[in-house]
Amino acid sequence: LAQKAGFQTDEKALIRAAQEGDQDAFGQLVRAYDQSVLRLAMNLLRSPEDAQDVYQEAFLRVYRNLNSFRFDCSFHTWLYRIVTNLCLDHMRKRKVRKEESSQVEGTDGPVDRMDTLQESRAESDPQRTMFTGELRERIRKALGELTARERMVFELRHYEGLKLRNIGEILGTSEEAAKNCLFRATQKMRVALGDFV
Amino acid sequence: MNTCEKVREQLSMLLYGELSFDQEEAVDAHLEGCAECRLALDREHELHAAFDKAEVEPPASVLWESRQNLQRQIAAEQRPAHAFMGRSGWWDRFLDTAWLRPAGALALVTLGFLGARLAPDWGLGVTGMSLADPGLQRVRSVGPSPNGGIQIVLDETRQRVVSGGLDDQKIRVLLLSAAKDPSDPGLRYETVGILNDRAQAAEVRDALIYALEHDENAGVRLKAMDGLKPFVRQPEIRKALAGVLLSDGNPGMRTQAIDLLTQGVGETTGNTTANNLDRDIIGTLQELMNSENNAYVRQRGERVLQLVNASQETY
Repeated sequence: LAQKAGFQTDEKALIRAAQEGDQDAFGQLVRAYDQSVLRLAMNLLRSPEDAQDVYQEAFLRVYRNLNSFRFDCSFHTWLYRIVTNLCLDHMRKRKVRKEESSQVEGTDGPVDRMDTLQESRAESDPQRTMFTGELRERIRKALGELTARERMVFELRHYEGLKLRNIGEILGTSEEAAKNCLFRATQKMRVALGDFV
Repeated sequence: MNTCEKVREQLSMLLYGELSFDQEEAVDAHLEGCAECRLALDREHELHAAFDKAEVEPPASVLWESRQNLQRQIAAEQRPAHAFMGRSGWWDRFLDTAWLRPAGALALVTLGFLGARLAPDWGLGVTGMSLADPGLQRVRSVGPSPNGGIQIVLDETRQRVVSGGLDDQKIRVLLLSAAKDPSDPGLRYETVGILNDRAQAAEVRDALIYALEHDENAGVRLKAMDGLKPFVRQPEIRKALAGVLLSDGNPGMRTQAIDLLTQGVGETTGNTTANNLDRDIIGTLQELMNSENNAYVRQRGERVLQLVNASQETY
């Protein structure tokens, strides 16, 4: 707790310094969050290019609007609000464009382009690799069936580890609504994965 | 809905730690007495573990690229460029993250080794001109201009961005050159680390051998040795490692060289213990014993010589 409180104090000081034009402080703020921002965008959008777009746009917005940040919420919540809105926009636009394929042609046929980015998950057992690959594919498909908001809540809770109360704050909804969303999402995932797990 | 159904509906939230204290108490109490619900909880655990497998971690290169683009875009915003681009500014600290270093080094290359810095505005009020870092430009000549003023001819080093994969020839050439850059051991270290991934190419191996034999920085030499490990059976690599044994001033390097050159010696497979070592290496080790002052290195060398039934020194 003391560590967390210390970080929050430091962060406040960083934000204040950045608001006064201290570029070094701004850099530290970016560095504190940019990896998880990129990961969230990448997992949600399943496209490195789109994820990079969101990353750029989100931090540029932070840079441009930092002076209007009044500490009404945490910086993390404010940043994630920006990021999730940008991701939701991308996801909606993509729905309108009827979704470009996330698959690319590999040496052994089509593969999900995100698989080409999986660096550290190689398995030594080929059977296990195949199983993991199929499982991943099933999960991806199931994730694709979720609504944008269900998907967002699921990503934020499961992969980013945020609490539902915080997710509600980010998405401008109540904790209860976020909980219902997560409930529906996991329920759908369970059904979609069937007896695979 | 019976109790079991209600409890199973809550299992996922239980795992997420999103139940209230009372709800959690009730679920726990039920689970204690219900084997089927405990099985359902196990399945829920498996489901959550399966979800984990679909997570994508952005590769360091994508993060690096994103940071680079952000930096460029921010620099293009209204603020004075030098505030963002100073070498000792946030950007350098931004990149000073160990896990990002390999990607960082590549980008250092793409940025022209970061030698280029944006020009600080010195407020000279000269239209269309801002003086760049003096390190990057040189006054070639000074003389009168036709209109009665002064005419200065400047030589300038210009920044150029080159990007591409490790297999791009232009990138490869830059990396091979950066591996020998005499001014920056950090750059050499990172570049050698990147090149290690392509040590199957003869030109890369040559660069690594060069670094191993000539780099003044032990960290760079050690990194180069890492890259050469898979090729330790090749005569030119063995020769270079033998050279390290006899002439490298760093005991850690000498120890590593002994380990690499004597890989497999003393290992037992079934009933046989490997005790073969090429004569040249035995000779090198014996020569080393004549001059080695470091007790640990001596001990390693002696042990190997013992294993291959060779005498400890040359006479």
